[in-house]
Formats: sequence, structure tokens, C-alpha cells
Amino acid sequence: MLSRFSPRLASAAVRRFSAAPGAVPGSALPTAFDIFNPTEDHTMFRNMLRQFAEDKVEPQALEHNRKEIFNRDLFTELGGLGVLGITVAEEYGGSAMDATAVVIAMEELSASDPAFCLSYLAHATLFVNNLHLNGTHAQKLKYLPSACDGSKVGGMCMSEPGAGTDVLGMSTTAKQQEGGDWLINGTKMWITNGTLDGETTGDYFLVYARTGEKKTDLSMFIVEKDMPGFSLGQKIENKLGMRASMTAELVFEDVRVPAENLVGTVNGASICMMRNLEIERVALAAMATGIARRCVEEMNKYATARKAFGKPLSDFGQTQKAIGESYADYMAGKSYTYSTSNNLDLASSGNVLDSDGVKLFAAKMSKEVADRAIQVLGGNGYTGEYRVEQMWRDAKLLEIGGGTNEAHHKNMVNWFKKAGHELP
Amino acid sequence: MSRVMVGVKRVVDYAVKVRVASDKKAVDLANVKMSMNPFCEIAVEEAVRLKEAKKASEIIAVSIGPKQAQETLRTALAMGCDRAIHITTDLRTDQELGPKGVAKLLAAVAEKESPDVVIVGKQAIDGDMGCTGSMLAAYMDVPQCTFAAKIDLDAKTVERETDAGTEVVSFPSLPAVFTADLRLNEPRYATLPNIMKAKKKKMDTIAAADLVADLTDGNTVLEVFEPAPRAAGVLVDDVDALVDKLKNEAAVI
Repeated sequence: MLSRFSPRLASAAVRRFSAAPGAVPGSALPTAFDIFNPTEDHTMFRNMLRQFAEDKVEPQALEHNRKEIFNRDLFTELGGLGVLGITVAEEYGGSAMDATAVVIAMEELSASDPAFCLSYLAHATLFVNNLHLNGTHAQKLKYLPSACDGSKVGGMCMSEPGAGTDVLGMSTTAKQQEGGDWLINGTKMWITNGTLDGETTGDYFLVYARTGEKKTDLSMFIVEKDMPGFSLGQKIENKLGMRASMTAELVFEDVRVPAENLVGTVNGASICMMRNLEIERVALAAMATGIARRCVEEMNKYATARKAFGKPLSDFGQTQKAIGESYADYMAGKSYTYSTSNNLDLASSGNVLDSDGVKLFAAKMSKEVADRAIQVLGGNGYTGEYRVEQMWRDAKLLEIGGGTNEAHHKNMVNWFKKAGHELP
Repeated sequence: MSRVMVGVKRVVDYAVKVRVASDKKAVDLANVKMSMNPFCEIAVEEAVRLKEAKKASEIIAVSIGPKQAQETLRTALAMGCDRAIHITTDLRTDQELGPKGVAKLLAAVAEKESPDVVIVGKQAIDGDMGCTGSMLAAYMDVPQCTFAAKIDLDAKTVERETDAGTEVVSFPSLPAVFTADLRLNEPRYATLPNIMKAKKKKMDTIAAADLVADLTDGNTVLEVFEPAPRAAGVLVDDVDALVDKLKNEAAVI
């Protein structure tokens, strides 16, 4: 027997019930092709990140969410693991993995702390992946290595106080000056990683701004912290959930951006935005999957240990219904998420039907599973220590952020209008 | 600089609540999460640190077991080992293949590879035998330094874990076998770029039967069973009642 416990081994003692990664516990099905881990690289990555999440993400979650502060040091550790540049080519400091690897990262991190995971998403997907797909070699060389190693934290600026779901109605403008520089004016809202300390802006941002007359005449610019005219409007306090992820209003007053910071072509950013929203939505669905997995685990653990009327909760039909339905819902959402990610080429666009569909399904699923988890845990579920109340609060964001449920409804039906009503 | 060989074993993950198989002959391995034995992770980490400190030129990871042992070897490669040797066997490594067979196999590999430093975990958390390293040193006829908490190749000393604390012992020369204890180091995570690189590293496969003819050690597992559940205790009224029970019922005083 082990006489002494190392820090890593010691975590086993408090480690929550956890299924074998990728395998369905108790299932006798052959694992010829595992859609959750399509290659050995995916399996090893998941195992590594699950261990990291249990060792490092889990212990800090309660405190950082309670205090509404971003864990900057833990974020840097993700850089050391090669996770921040997950989809980026090696020459820019990345790991050159695919959409399913993004999904694995989201699932594993959110099972311990969805808020920390949201900051990761804004950085790795909305900034890093977006620039990697749309930037020039020079832009990528300048900005990606420091973003991939975690020394800089990035975000993306799309929504505005007056333009959310109606994103093409944005009013922030960029006007080209003599000599080629651009002047950006406007205000951006709900920007994840908009601030990291509550007092100054985050480090790097991709900012969408209007540059022409047509509704789709948008362009994308790289804006850095400390550019004159670029400032923190306010840190958004008291969010329902995602409290360890910092959200901000960012203000642009005659921010002079050099011509080389234009990403892509003038008036060509709408397609970049739509393409990036697709991976973002699949990633958010994966976050929902992580939340649901955690909630099913917590429900199971509690229902086995807790007794009422002389028998464990798991012997009661009501609890069995909660757990059984939650596991089935979780697996449905997870299967839809990975089937979408396995078919998502990051460089492609036009995957709206399922990127929106999977987030629409998984977000609601995670909220309902978290709700059942609180119910099964009763009074304990209503308190922070048992973690499921955070999952419930964080899950709600997934029905709003990265596209509201209503936006998904609209996009999906618009897709059918174009593509026809027959399904494959 | 030294050539280093590390043994890595695939075991039931330390967090799994094991179940006894229905025939009571073994632990049920169906759909159970497996991972690298924690003490083997420490052994790998120590080897990688030796290489980073420019005290080792090459690290060879060796694992014995079914095809899935290659996953464990990939993890060792992702942590920083240079190449891997997979010794294939269908024997269950948690009970059919004992320390003696493993030590003979590792000694056979060592004879081919002539490592200066061999590091293995002090024990595997499945069989808990804790004697493979010592047997290996005997078969190789080299010094053994067990329960290592610190290894200093230059000074030729090892700090060892003992029941009373630690002691520092010197060893005469390399090659030598070291067994890793918990406090030797804290293993690193395999980074994503290193996971990607691991699959490009060389992995050789050798059948166990081609190395060692007789892998048996004379032991047979008769029955595997769960520990008996602890019976509920009783409350006694006073000290006299307690002393009486200890004296007359338990007969321990």
C-alpha cells in the first residue's frame, strides 16, 4: 500500500467519481472508432488535460468565482502545456490540432471551472484561432507566439451596447486616414478578457468595425493595450455566472491603428466573423458537455452516499429518473458535439446548421442537467462547495453568449430556406 | 553521459474503485481506466531531468504487457523519453507475470541496451510487490539503490526513504538500478506539442518468449476478494466497561 501520498496522488482521495475518458462506463460496446477520441493524440491530450483540471483547475474554482477574479497564473500554465495555441501552426508557437481537440479542451476545463474555460475560449478561439486563419504571416509572427505561450491574453470585440444578436447593426466605425492608418471610434460590450485586473484593458483584441456603406461592410483590426484612445469603459460586475471570467465594456476614441493591423481585406470581415462563430458555438456546446458530465458525476456520487428514510437516494425512483435522464441527455449532447467537431474543418465556413444546432441543444441540456443536480443534492446543491450551483449559473450563459437561442433559431431556419427542407 | 533505461507499467488508474471479477480469480479489467503506474511516472520524470541536466544522453522506456501497453509507452515518450521497447505478452501483468519474470525480461533488455542507469518505480500499485527493482539488480549483477528520494550521479549517493526518515547511502559504481519513491520528484504533464511529437519516436516490439523462456515464479492466485466491510462499533458507558471488554472480549490487554 502507499504509505505516503504525493500531491498528485493525494488528489485521488478527494477526486470525484470519474468515468474512463472517452469510454462509456460499463458498456460492452466495441470501441472500434471512438468519436470522442478520434486519434491516440486526442486520447492522450484528454488524459493530460483531465489530470491538469483535477490537480490545478478544480482547487481554485470556488475562490476565483466567489471573488470574481481571473486566474492569470493558471492561464499562463495552459500556455506551457501548449493548449493556448491549440489550432495554431507550430511555426507560430502552436500545437496544430483540430476542432475536436478544441472541443476536448473545452469539455475538460469546464468540468472543473466553466468560467476559467470561457476566458480560455475567448483567447484561444476568438483571438488566436481567428488571427491564425485570417491574418498575414507578419501579423501571426508578431502576435501569436506571445499569445500561445500565455504571456499575452487576447479577446474579440463584436457586440456593442446597441447591437447584440443584430451584430451587423454595429455602429463602431473605422475610417482610413491619409497615410493609411485607421481611426476607430465606438464602444464594444460584453467583451470576455476585456479586462484582466479590473482596471486596465486586456492585451490583444480583434475588433470588428464598420468600414463601408453596406450592412456587411465590416473590417477586422488588431488593437493592443495602451494604444492611445483605447480604454476600459467598465468591468461588468455581478454577472449571474462565469464570474471568474472578466467581462468588460471597451471604449475606442480616435484609436489610431496602423494599416498593417488590418486583418484580411477592407469590408471582408463578415465571413471571418461568421466562420469564427461556428467553431465558437461548437466549443460552447462542448462547454455544456463538460458541465453536464460534472453534474451527472456529482449527482451519482451524492445519491450513493446520502441516505434518506434509511436508504441511499439512488434507491428512490425520483433520483433514478434525474440521473438516468441526465446521463442520456449528456450523451446525446456530447455525441452531437463531437460528431459536429469531427466534421468541422476550421478553415471552412457554411457549417451554421449544426454549429448553431448543437449549441442550441447542448446549452439547454446542460442547464437542465445542472438543475436536476441541484435538486438531487437538495440544500447542499444550493451551496457553492458542492459546485453544481455554479454549473447551473454558468450554463445559463450558454443560451446567451456566442449567439442567443433566438439567433440560432433564426440562423437554422435561414439555412433551411437556402438549402431546402430535405435532410440527409 | 549515461544511457538511461526506465521501466513503465500500465496499471488500473489509482482513482478507480476496483471490482472483483465474477470468478473471484482476479480484478475485473473490463472498461476500467488504465494509466501509467504513479511510481513509474516518477521514474520517467527523473530520467528526463537527468537528460535535461545533461547527465543522460538517451532514455529508453520499456513496458511489458498487451498491445495497450504501447499507450503507456507513448505517454513516457511524450514526457521526454527518446525511444521505447514494448515487450509483448498475454499474461496478466497484475498477477500472472510476477516480479521475477519482469526482472528477467528487463535484465534481458538491459543486456542488449547496456544502460548505465536503470530507474523503475519502487512498486506497482496493482500487485504491490515492491521487489522488481531488487530482483533486476540481482539478475544484472549491479548495485541497487531502492526507495530513492534523491539521486546524485556525480557524488554517487542516493537519499533513501526509510520508516524513520531518510538516509544517504553511496553506491560504488554505475551501472546501477534505482527504484523511485514518492518524494523523488513531481512528474510533469506531457505537453500537447510533445504528445504530437511522441508518435514520431521509435517503438520496437519484442515478444516476451523471445527474451526469456520461463516467466513463471511459482505463485498462483487462489482467490481475490474484497476486504470484509467493517462492522459497526458499540458505545460503552464508562472506562471500566471499556477495560473489561478489552480484557475479556478482545483479549488484547
